[in-house]
Amino acid sequence: MSFLAMQQVGFTFPGWPPVVRQIDWDIEKGEFHCLVGRSGCGKTTLLKLAAGLLHPDEGRIALHGMDVLAPGPELGFVFQSPTLLEWHRVLDNVLLPVSLQHRPTAGEIDKAQQLLAQLGLASHARHYPRQLSGGQQSRVALARALILEPSLLLMDEPFAALDAITREELQDDLLQMCRSRRTTVLFVTHDIAEAVYLADRVAVMDAGRIVQDIRVDIGKPRTTATRYSEAFARHCSQVRAAMDKVAA
Amino acid sequence: MNTKLLRMRVGSLVLLALLLLAWEWAARGFGLSALVLPAPSVIFKSLWNGLASGYFWPHVRSTGSELLLGLAIGCIVGFASGVIMSESAFLRALLMPYVVVSQVIPKLALMPLFIVWFGFGMTSTVVITALICFFPLMENTLTSLQQVEPQRLELFRMLGATRRQTLLRLKLPAGLPGILAGLRVAVVLALVGAVVGEFIGANRGLGALVIASQGMMDTPLMFAVLVLIAVLGMLVYQATLALEKWLLLPYTKVS
Repeated sequence: MSFLAMQQVGFTFPGWPPVVRQIDWDIEKGEFHCLVGRSGCGKTTLLKLAAGLLHPDEGRIALHGMDVLAPGPELGFVFQSPTLLEWHRVLDNVLLPVSLQHRPTAGEIDKAQQLLAQLGLASHARHYPRQLSGGQQSRVALARALILEPSLLLMDEPFAALDAITREELQDDLLQMCRSRRTTVLFVTHDIAEAVYLADRVAVMDAGRIVQDIRVDIGKPRTTATRYSEAFARHCSQVRAAMDKVAA
Repeated sequence: MNTKLLRMRVGSLVLLALLLLAWEWAARGFGLSALVLPAPSVIFKSLWNGLASGYFWPHVRSTGSELLLGLAIGCIVGFASGVIMSESAFLRALLMPYVVVSQVIPKLALMPLFIVWFGFGMTSTVVITALICFFPLMENTLTSLQQVEPQRLELFRMLGATRRQTLLRLKLPAGLPGILAGLRVAVVLALVGAVVGEFIGANRGLGALVIASQGMMDTPLMFAVLVLIAVLGMLVYQATLALEKWLLLPYTKVS
């Protein structure tokens, strides 16, 4: 049985055409999957369904074989914008998922410091979010999503607003953090190169359906050299072709 | 930047001195009666006499306490109503028409009624001040709490926050800048409420003193009291600004 299993999932906002239709998708433990598609193709909605923020009208979504009914500590979610609380220091922002449950223990505070250190933000723990750059804020949001050690991480175009170089740095950080924790990731993006660089599998979505399933068999770990390899370019053009075919 | 600011401040003071000098010169030169427009020197003498003899202090204390008491009551009730109405759509729909009606009536027109209800003196003035402060606080609290970014609400849902936690740890801190802007408006209105309330409802306080000086045809005294009212207003307003700046420090700090 798969780690995350979606069967014939459908979802409709009342009064609108279906946003998500007949989705079948499985993710195995520790895999990194990307959902790509044009704006409005339903990828964010599918992610919210997987998070339990929305409930499917048809079909079922199961995590470890159990239906996803509500968000829980099993899941980490990273939004399009960092959504940090500007009145809390960086450290308290990272600890937010903990402090909503109970007063953070010394061990948990240490863990938060460690996460920040791994993301190169050790010296910013006492700062406020407004004092950080956009890339640093995205890192804090990532640390916040990882503090409870979720087994599934759902990400909704988290790096879309960053410049190209910062984005590549964050992609490397993300891959490294997830590999060391064996975190399963479902990552939504509209950037083809980002999808191919990060993913083991890419799902191309259009009009609420998954229209193509592309396995990315490029070796790991991926490095800057990967981005300029022939295999990388071939996969990018394959994804691109899949998106074009849909548009035609 | 700092020297520029300093130069502006000095400029303002110089302008003030020039205006006062021109006023003094005009009052003396045209031989205007002190009943119409007293010279600044005459006003200052009246102000000094009142302060030195202790004549002004009970009045300042009275207006000050009415102002603070009315402000505190109005703001607490306004804030609490704003929170309750933002949390409950039912209460919002139920109460909003009454709140609007209560605000459309000019509150000072209610002062004679309050004198009948609460008597001549401090209570009536406090009630009217509180009523005036209530609205900006309620309105700003209600709006600020409803304008929380949807993604942040989703984040709190994602993290399994209770309704209480979402209110206390997300909505209130996120709405704080807007709520404090309401407080700033309330402070200015509170002084108007207290002074004008005293015009008709009290025999003590700076407002009552303005009316008394009119009755005594003592225009220099009236001007002296107006100066006191302006100083009192500036003090309360600056204190509010300082409080706001301090509370919003994490929100504004950028370096």
